[in-house]
Amino acid sequence: MSDETDQNPDRRSRCHRLRGALARTARISRWEVSRSAGTVDRKTVLVLAALALVVGLVGVSAAGEGVGLEDEIYVVAVDEDSRYHDVAVESEAFRPIPLDELVVESGDEANADVVVTRNGELARYGPHGAAAHDAFVEAIDAYNEERFRQEANETAAYPVHVELDYQERNFDGETEQGGRDGSSNGDSDGGTGTGPAENGTGDDSTADGTDGEGSGDGSGDAADGDTDGTDRNDGTSDDGDGRLQVPNIGGAGGAVDGTVGPPGSISPPFPFQSLLLAFLFVVPMNFVIQAYGSTIMDERVKRRGELLLVSPASRREIVAGKTLPYLLGLVAVAVGITVAVRGGLLSVAAAIPIALLFLAATFAGAMLARSYKELTFVTVTISVFLTTYTFIPAVFTDVNPIALISPLTLIVTDLQGESVSLGEYVFSTAPFYCSAAVCFLLGIGVYREEDMFAQKALPAKVLDAIASRLHGYRSVAVLTALFIPFVFAGQLLAVALLFAVPEQLAVPLVIVLAAAIEEVAKSVHVYAGFVRSRFEASLRVAAVLGVCSGAGFFVGEKLTHVVQFVGLPELTVGAAAFGPELSGDPLLAAAVFLAPLVLHVVTAVISAIGASRSRIDYALTVVLATLVHAIYNLGVIALVA
Amino acid sequence: MAILEVDSLRKEYGGFTAVEGSSFAVERGEVFGVVGPNGAGKTTTLKMLAGLIEPTAGAAAVAGHTPGEPAMQRRLGFLPEESPLYEEMTANGYLEFFADLYDVPAEVARERIDHTLERLDLEHRDRRLGNMSKGMKRKVAIARALVNDPDVLIFDEPASGLDPLTTNYIIEFTRELSDEGKTIIFSAHNLFHVESVCDRIVIMNDGRIVARGTVDEIRDAHGGTEYRVYATVDAGGDPVAGEPVDDRRDGDAATEFRHVVGDMAAVEAVRETVEGEGGRVTDIQTKTPSLEEIFLEVASEPAGDGDGLASGRPDRRTETDAAARTDDGTQRSDEREPTEDAAEAET
Repeated sequence: MSDETDQNPDRRSRCHRLRGALARTARISRWEVSRSAGTVDRKTVLVLAALALVVGLVGVSAAGEGVGLEDEIYVVAVDEDSRYHDVAVESEAFRPIPLDELVVESGDEANADVVVTRNGELARYGPHGAAAHDAFVEAIDAYNEERFRQEANETAAYPVHVELDYQERNFDGETEQGGRDGSSNGDSDGGTGTGPAENGTGDDSTADGTDGEGSGDGSGDAADGDTDGTDRNDGTSDDGDGRLQVPNIGGAGGAVDGTVGPPGSISPPFPFQSLLLAFLFVVPMNFVIQAYGSTIMDERVKRRGELLLVSPASRREIVAGKTLPYLLGLVAVAVGITVAVRGGLLSVAAAIPIALLFLAATFAGAMLARSYKELTFVTVTISVFLTTYTFIPAVFTDVNPIALISPLTLIVTDLQGESVSLGEYVFSTAPFYCSAAVCFLLGIGVYREEDMFAQKALPAKVLDAIASRLHGYRSVAVLTALFIPFVFAGQLLAVALLFAVPEQLAVPLVIVLAAAIEEVAKSVHVYAGFVRSRFEASLRVAAVLGVCSGAGFFVGEKLTHVVQFVGLPELTVGAAAFGPELSGDPLLAAAVFLAPLVLHVVTAVISAIGASRSRIDYALTVVLATLVHAIYNLGVIALVA
Repeated sequence: MAILEVDSLRKEYGGFTAVEGSSFAVERGEVFGVVGPNGAGKTTTLKMLAGLIEPTAGAAAVAGHTPGEPAMQRRLGFLPEESPLYEEMTANGYLEFFADLYDVPAEVARERIDHTLERLDLEHRDRRLGNMSKGMKRKVAIARALVNDPDVLIFDEPASGLDPLTTNYIIEFTRELSDEGKTIIFSAHNLFHVESVCDRIVIMNDGRIVARGTVDEIRDAHGGTEYRVYATVDAGGDPVAGEPVDDRRDGDAATEFRHVVGDMAAVEAVRETVEGEGGRVTDIQTKTPSLEEIFLEVASEPAGDGDGLASGRPDRRTETDAAARTDDGTQRSDEREPTEDAAEAET
């Protein structure tokens, strides 16, 4: 009872402090909005709003129907009673004129580019005649295709059917009906000549006759894409055992779905429309971070932040308050885009971590930049890197599960009308959330008088930022664990970048890069601690810090086993980066489980000893630790193989 | 009772020591001056007190709170030397925001802001700060420092770069705040302002406190008031071993000497001696060293190993070199004239 009474005041006090912190954060946010609004006059706001509206409409229009640049660029002379007249009318590229109005001038010139004679022949005139002729042929095909789609009797419209039926596969790499794949492929694929469903069954399903109109839509993309992904991995899978190279990633790429339509309706494995629409989510972020970076920079360059720092608001509250309006703005934009492109909640949920990382990286960059010129460089770098990091993997949404390293892939998936599992969402977004948190923490570390207004070199500021988070041995372990998302993202990026490189070269490169990234992550803060005199530069202290860092990394690394939810380690290149799955043998499992702990501690101690001495010693010991780590990785892979 | 206590405060930047072992205490309602040349460590000290800079060693407490604690920040008003404002905001909007940040109820804030701006004679409160003059901006900055009705105010160069009229206004306003019981830590390069406003001061040099006390105490420690007794005696005579004066005042037959002594008793002794030898005292002048002179003297000396005092009281023997006297011979009477631009603004 007395404990409860003792605890209640504490709890009330904590609640009171939390309320106070939230209130101050909200005040700073409101102020940031009103202050920023004061920098833009009403006319500018109206112009910007109109501009955004136009861009939005054009974007949506372009994504849906094209921008209409080719409207009526050709003239076709055709009689109204000709069956080709409707083609000309429905095609936006053509303006029909009656055949009687055709005026052929001297030579090859006429007042029409294409002429449909009364006996149905096509003639062309003038310099645009050839292009107009080809366009009109395409228009005829499109017209016919549309008529087929509207045909009630589907069998009459599509006398030849190809049904693509994709199967779920389990972690062993086998399809549920894998045993009967081979025999049925030839029959179904042979008729199409495309052969995309190499592992599909295609034999026992009947066309339901309902998917004809949807053959070109998003679901078709997804299904086709996954099939193509299977083909891309054939380089190592032609072993005749029925194993699929692409692991099961749930509903994102391997959904059980059927596509019915003519062979010509089979789309390439490139979710162009969904990708384009998903890209719309990223575009505003590139603009917003410019404004956000500037407001942070203003606090520093103009020394405005000093007065906020001396107020009762904490650094975290100040940063949160200044960031919140931009984050909420981006979320609002994401919601707006989602509504416009008919996406779902998943699109918004996937856009949030991207927006958060854009802002966090910009914040950290703005805290490190020494001038607006450097800030421009920083924001452009962030724009290019994060846009590339999110967009490129999303191109492979329907091809390879590694595409899930980008939350944009989730948006593409959502726009294709498919769902993702919670594990996939976590796998895709957790590194973004964690990286954003670390960026904010490091930025807040230097959000103080001594760093904000000082002209320090970039490495010195980075070391300050890291050192600001060091308070005792335990903080070293915590910081190491917090670096795991960066390690994870860095290694995934290395895997993605080396995806197209021949495996013989990619695997050793990934092994060395992965090891180097980990060793830097385990030691850079230890080095910062020594340089900033957070720790006594002695061998004993270095050893203790190395042990702490290695242990922290071991714990953090285990969190990356989330990748097993999506089977990523089954990729050969992925296994090189993340190590093999745990064995079923308890002893081997224990060894595999604990061996990394020993490795991380040993290599972290090596680096820590170097860090305690000098910068050159630190660099040399990191190289040494990387080599030890890489050799270990090679050994484990060889052992498991 | 001390409302602000500083104990062995030290700040290092890498291998550079900006502040070394500063200790002092400030009484409630006192105006406490911190002076020193550029790079002496004044601003670093003030920012450590404001919680902006974390000391490398030592401790400070404002009303019992460590600098940086929210409870302490609520009782503190800080006016930095450079106080850039959010120029896109109006004076009212700016002050209301800070009042809100200090949890000042809106009505109280409104009343306080109006009152302060009236006292500071600031008009055009709805004008954007970017469109205000430098003096008006400084007044807004002072009003911001007062918006939370702080117990302790830290004014770092409050009148830096302002015209004499505005400067006098701000100095007078500082006095008024002191009269109201505010404790003010006041730093300025203009030593006349410091001398006229501060109850006690510390002089810093090379990161150390090299002199402290009231202005008079420091003056005394540097010799205090000098009495210069001019006497003429017969040629060749010098009864009290005075300093010969080049300009003869009493004809070729006599020699004039100047005797510098520290009090009136000594003056009388000189007079008696001179007259006993048949000479006569021709003139007696007093010279009181200005704070600026003391400052220049102290600033030109290398800093010692520290003041060795923790009580806040001056120790003349250890903090100052009482033997070093200013004697330029150019100012013959009471020389406490201010020099407005004695030193450059600290950067």
